Amino acid sequence: MNIENTQSQMRKGILEFCILSVIRRGEAYPSDIVEEMKKANLNILEGTLYPLLTRLKNADMLTYRWVESNSGPPRKYFSLTPKGEAFYGELEATWNELANAVHALTNNTH
Amino acid sequence: MKKIININFHSRVIPIEESAYEILQQYIESLRRYFAREEGRDEIISDIENRFAELFSETLKKGAPCITDADVEANIASMGRPEEFEGEENAGAATAGAGNTGSSQPSGGGPNPNWEYAGSEPRRLYRAENDKILGGVCAGLANYLRLDPAIVRIIFVLMLFSWGFGFLLYLILWAILPTRSLPAAVRKRLYRNPDNRMIAGVASGLAAYFHIEVWIPRIIFLLPLLLGIVTSMIRSIWWPWHHFTGPVFFTGGFGGTLFITYIVLWIVLPEANSASEKLEMRGEKVDLESIKNTIKSDLEGFKGRAKEMGTELGESFNRVSREMRQNTQNWASEAGPAIRQTTNGFGHAVGVLFKAFFLFIAGCIAFGLIMALAALVFRGEGVLHVKNYILEGFWQNFLAWTGFFLFLVIPVMALLTWLIRRISGTRTRRHYLGYAFMTLWVIGLFCLIILGGMVMNNFQSRQHVEEAVTITQPSHGKLLVFANHSENRYGDTDEWFNVDWGRHNAFYILNDDSVLLRTVKVNVLRSDDSAYHVRLIKLSHGNSGPNARQLASEIRFPVNQADSVLTLPEGFTITPGEKFRNQQVLVEIYVPLGKRIQLGSAVKDYNWFNIDPRRRHLSWSDGHRYYEWDEDYDDPGNTFYWRSNVEYLMTPNGLLRTDRDTYENNGSGDRAPDRTNNDGDNNDNENPGYSAPKHSKHDSGGYRYKGPGSRPEKSPQKKTADSTSVKRTAMIAKPADCSTCLLSALDNI
Repeated sequence: MNIENTQSQMRKGILEFCILSVIRRGEAYPSDIVEEMKKANLNILEGTLYPLLTRLKNADMLTYRWVESNSGPPRKYFSLTPKGEAFYGELEATWNELANAVHALTNNTH
Repeated sequence: MKKIININFHSRVIPIEESAYEILQQYIESLRRYFAREEGRDEIISDIENRFAELFSETLKKGAPCITDADVEANIASMGRPEEFEGEENAGAATAGAGNTGSSQPSGGGPNPNWEYAGSEPRRLYRAENDKILGGVCAGLANYLRLDPAIVRIIFVLMLFSWGFGFLLYLILWAILPTRSLPAAVRKRLYRNPDNRMIAGVASGLAAYFHIEVWIPRIIFLLPLLLGIVTSMIRSIWWPWHHFTGPVFFTGGFGGTLFITYIVLWIVLPEANSASEKLEMRGEKVDLESIKNTIKSDLEGFKGRAKEMGTELGESFNRVSREMRQNTQNWASEAGPAIRQTTNGFGHAVGVLFKAFFLFIAGCIAFGLIMALAALVFRGEGVLHVKNYILEGFWQNFLAWTGFFLFLVIPVMALLTWLIRRISGTRTRRHYLGYAFMTLWVIGLFCLIILGGMVMNNFQSRQHVEEAVTITQPSHGKLLVFANHSENRYGDTDEWFNVDWGRHNAFYILNDDSVLLRTVKVNVLRSDDSAYHVRLIKLSHGNSGPNARQLASEIRFPVNQADSVLTLPEGFTITPGEKFRNQQVLVEIYVPLGKRIQLGSAVKDYNWFNIDPRRRHLSWSDGHRYYEWDEDYDDPGNTFYWRSNVEYLMTPNGLLRTDRDTYENNGSGDRAPDRTNNDGDNNDNENPGYSAPKHSKHDSGGYRYKGPGSRPEKSPQKKTADSTSVKRTAMIAKPADCSTCLLSALDNI
């Protein structure tokens, strides 16, 4: 049992939830998402983000539009679809349940 | 010192160090492999590339002159390497992969799915689902060995052409390998190398691709040519009379194929002009060592897997059976809709075998055609000889050469171009090459049509001359007719393509100066008086009446006699000056009543054209229709059917075999068995089986003699139409009348 493995397992489960929550606040560009997550102290490699976004998009959770950029090629800005919104709602409910449960459990043991 | 190249990266021109470009390429390649099983792989890669382009633009905006190694490394670090993704994301990838791509790869859910993802191998051998011409075997192998699929395909095609062994190997791999969608293994393409070239840089481009010395491909291209020259030199020294036989044909044909291949590669392959193209030309290093390493690492991976499998035998059994089932399903989907309908596995197997067989046959036919055309192009001596005898004048020769070249060579070139394009996956939007091929081919077709018209014109008219041969009457009342026929004489003549066309070929080509024709026919008729007569009727075509008559009179056909033996020449020769105009010789032998005749077997060997004397006046094309070896039996009796080496007696009823009593007993219609039973069994004296029943059949059925009244009228009519031989008409009419009497008598019986 190695600690890093467990940690990454824990992070992995909430990754999609976090990304959706960032996008939910407004259209987002992948590197913005990475920045925002970094600010919240959740480090993620850009290289992991792209496949996740593509998968969510292919599952109709996300949609995107091209926005011209003055610093380089046009950028993809992602936003939630209604289906993504519903998905997010479910994830949120699950998260709240989990957080409460974990909170209750960890407080009990102390 | 670093070399800087400009690359077009997501529609931005980016100056980048050559080494940095290579790092970037390798990184993207590793991503491609990592995401191989992702449904949205191309989109993910494109997004990541886009991000790189943006980062590069930012760096350049800050005033950097170009993108350096360090820039690329830094960007890659922030993006993350595939190895790092795994720690963060592998469970997600595995589930997403399984969820998105369906169950295309059942083993993906196995105990350790990660080994497939490991950025740098081990790999497994698959058939490529996404990039295939037949079964995707070549693309799969290419992916495994990290080669350009074009190369593997070319090697397989070569193996197929050389030994046919490649085909078998292909079938086996097709049968045992599972399919899978595979990423392109290397970004590497065949180019022509303009920096180091002898002719067009094809060989040096190949050398750069394979990382071999440039002389190797050059020698391969040149070797058959050199070998052909050397062997034909040796041959012409040692066996001057066997100059055209043996493997010269093979080496000539093979060398010719390579020559055409070179030209087609020249046309198809682009020149590597820009630096990035040159990089692509060399690509990742591929040599024996790397291939060996690949296989070695894979074998080690296999050992590991074997151990795992040992612990879970049951599961692996399941997996194998699942894969097998899936394989057969895949096969079914490839074997065409008709086969797909039959759902049982046996049907699929049969379907695949059938398809493979069909492909094999089609391949053989295509290969044969190509080889034949190549042989025609590069070894046209046989045709050349004939050409001299048929064509005349500059324009006909010019049209023949142009038409021949354009009509035959252009399709070969086009086919090879298409093949190589298909193999190398080159797509071009410019179709001018196709149009050019098409135009040239149509020009060639027109040349041949015009030529055909001109040649037809030369055969337009048909005329004949007649010549009576004076013979002394044989002393014993029997004439023996033989023909010279020296088999040995043709043994060392120049046959077409070293193929023995047999003795029945009309063109016995003697040498460049003359050709021997054997379009000779011997007819036996009844003589009007009590003496033997021999007449020669020489026929020829020509572009006009006088021309045809002239050519006919030039036929040399000397008949020799020694007492009772008449010897005919084996044929007649014509020279290129005289031209071949379908010259023919009809030998008419008139036998008086009560005299005997016997014809030697060589007389039967005169061949090819059937000369029908009654149709002599007809046009060439009509005359050409009568290819049949046998007589026209409806002819009521001015010529008689005969077998060789059989003695005949001339009777009022026609020829009668002297060695058969049965026919004499019948008394009438004795010609019938001989006529119908023309199975060529010449020396068969006793045929008790067939004579009686056949006889009665002819008598009762009488189909042969139907309408005896109408026939004799028809016959003289035909004769009078022949304005050029009025004299002969009268002569033939007599026996015809005679036989009419005979026929009506027969009907009365």
